[in-house]
Amino acid sequence: MRIEQHPILTFPAGKMVKFTFDGKELYGKEGEPIVAALHANGIKVIGHSHNKHRPRGLYCAIGNCSSCLATVNGEPNVRTCITPLCEGMVVTMQNGKGVIK
Amino acid sequence: MKRTDIAIIGGGPAGLCASIAAAKMGAKVTLIERNSTLGGQLVKQTHMFFGSQKQYASTRGIDICKILDNEVNKYDNIEVLTNTTVLGMYEDGVITLDCNGSYKKMLPSRIIVATGASEKYLPFANNDLPGIYGAGAVQTLMNVYGVKPADSVVMVGAGNIGLIVSYQLMQAGVSVNAIIDAAPSIGGYLVHASKVARLGVPILTSTTVKSAHGKEYITGITTVKLDDKWQEIEGSESYLPCDNLCISVGLSPLAELLWQIGCEMKYVPTLGGFVPTRDNHLKTSIDSVYVAGDVAGIEEASSAMVEGSIAGLCASRSIGLTMTDYDKVLADYIEQSNSLRRGPVGDKIRQGLAQVEIGGQTK
Amino acid sequence: MIQKDGIATQEMIDSITPSAERRSKGPVAVVECFQSIPCNPCYTSCPRKAMKELIDINDMPQVNTDICNGCGVCISHCPGLAIFVIDETYGDNQCLIKMPYEFTPLPSEGDYVTATDRGGKPVCRGKVVKVVNTPMQDRTPIIHLVVPKEFSMIVRSLNINDIYDDNTYICRCEELTLGELREYIRKGYTTLDEIKRITRAGMGPCQGRTCRQLIMNEIAKLTGVKPQDQLMSTFRPPVKPVKLGFYAQEDTDNE
Repeated sequence: MRIEQHPILTFPAGKMVKFTFDGKELYGKEGEPIVAALHANGIKVIGHSHNKHRPRGLYCAIGNCSSCLATVNGEPNVRTCITPLCEGMVVTMQNGKGVIK
Repeated sequence: MKRTDIAIIGGGPAGLCASIAAAKMGAKVTLIERNSTLGGQLVKQTHMFFGSQKQYASTRGIDICKILDNEVNKYDNIEVLTNTTVLGMYEDGVITLDCNGSYKKMLPSRIIVATGASEKYLPFANNDLPGIYGAGAVQTLMNVYGVKPADSVVMVGAGNIGLIVSYQLMQAGVSVNAIIDAAPSIGGYLVHASKVARLGVPILTSTTVKSAHGKEYITGITTVKLDDKWQEIEGSESYLPCDNLCISVGLSPLAELLWQIGCEMKYVPTLGGFVPTRDNHLKTSIDSVYVAGDVAGIEEASSAMVEGSIAGLCASRSIGLTMTDYDKVLADYIEQSNSLRRGPVGDKIRQGLAQVEIGGQTK
Repeated sequence: MIQKDGIATQEMIDSITPSAERRSKGPVAVVECFQSIPCNPCYTSCPRKAMKELIDINDMPQVNTDICNGCGVCISHCPGLAIFVIDETYGDNQCLIKMPYEFTPLPSEGDYVTATDRGGKPVCRGKVVKVVNTPMQDRTPIIHLVVPKEFSMIVRSLNINDIYDDNTYICRCEELTLGELREYIRKGYTTLDEIKRITRAGMGPCQGRTCRQLIMNEIAKLTGVKPQDQLMSTFRPPVKPVKLGFYAQEDTDNE
């Protein structure tokens, strides 16, 4: 969910762009981190760990921890917390280490 | 290979102030920032800062960010490299960079490391569940991107960050079910605690999180009370529902680069972990390497700004640059730095610094 | 204890409470800062220099109540939001409390709200008489709240929902309070039918006879859509409660 009203901040409307997560069509603000767009759509689990298959999502949100890895446009291990969202991005849940094509 | 007088690594409060101070001295500065914008963690600090006017007291962090950013832009002798990460620092003084995807090398005469800190993690059962976030992550989502991180949160940690982020969550329309802290008393400023208490948020001291619940996503936690020896009190477990657990149990200096180049490091828990030894000009055990801000020991942003100014001045002075009133300006910053740490809340900082100061001559 | 729960003890409050004599003379600042921290905007922001000089920035603030006139400039400058102004001369039995409030929605002048204490617990009903929110306050608006005089040193925050709303019934059949109704309207249930479906108000034994008008008035108040412009809900038989079996009867009149 996006914050509608804030006592201190105003958030620019931004251009909404279409992208997909696991095939599902979604919209997010162009340039915001992929993971922020996913959160705004209520999606918080974006992968499963490579060994014990534990669910994974955001942890630090500033590119330190690499907990939020997903596959973006076919490229695995993308840190979605610091990767800006673009029109038409194909994001898929990353289960395991991902395959470099 | 690119050369510069002073490379400043990190564009947060310390790095920005270091750049401005060094630029005033006439140094050719290269300010290196891994993000696309300057400001570091200032960009999400919606609250007013403490301190005195010299450290922008009463001004919100987000506004201090703009002030410093504008100031940096005024100087032609500051080159700003955004989207640039320093990958390594080598003994011959060369640093290697990922500059917008291309590999670069640089040889600066002096380096000021102002890389900041990362959030500490907390061990408990199921602590890897999605929905368990660092407090900084929650702040980034809501204050930078305008996205609600969750509906109801439990905050772990009643230090300044835990208290401030709890307040900010409520400003974003998220409910905070409780703030818990393993310590027997609140670690943050009491005015911050009172601010959330009067909104009806219970602060539970001597309480920690035992386990998190949920299959794919967190649905609640079990808390447990601790006795005066910090041992779990059997039977004191209690369930708290939440769809987000925010971890705010302190920061650790991001000191990898200092280790790489071989700076002398000491483990000082009150400063957040391993920190470099330094003199009162913030010069490390390596003559060409200076430090400022959280990487030199975890403190408030106001201290980081003052340290940045000191490091910027002194690093420039060490390559033969100067300015009118240099001694007076430097003395003023050192006095500011001392006054921020002089009170009882600075006790631990002063004790920690005494262990890492070379010469220990900070006055 | 404040070190454990963030709530100042009575002893601490007593130590900063202005004298009864001073309180009887008009507005005065109360600084609820009980810890030595490096911070001095309370001192530097005061236009009358009523705050004792903080020679070291770690000194504790101290108000000279003879000089302070309760103007409230310091309220928005305190990074700890720890300063309040109390005015016990506001009315015979009432006092005015000026407090910082950094939340949305802001209450409006004339609103009744729930006045709360330092622990966020409801104390009494308060009336907002002024909301000061100019660039001077820099996004820390100051709310002027009127409460009974005996609560001048007790009330320190507010909840935008009127305490009376929770005891004020709109629908007797389904026990819907005004507070609940307002919450639903704020969430976006802004027509009579939507309210009916989410709360059942109008579906009870009275079939909306007691609540319908009140709900429409409340929708009008919060959304600005006048009752005559609102969508009316659907009316269906029967107009009074009857047993199902009643309809199973045969109409014996063969006319």
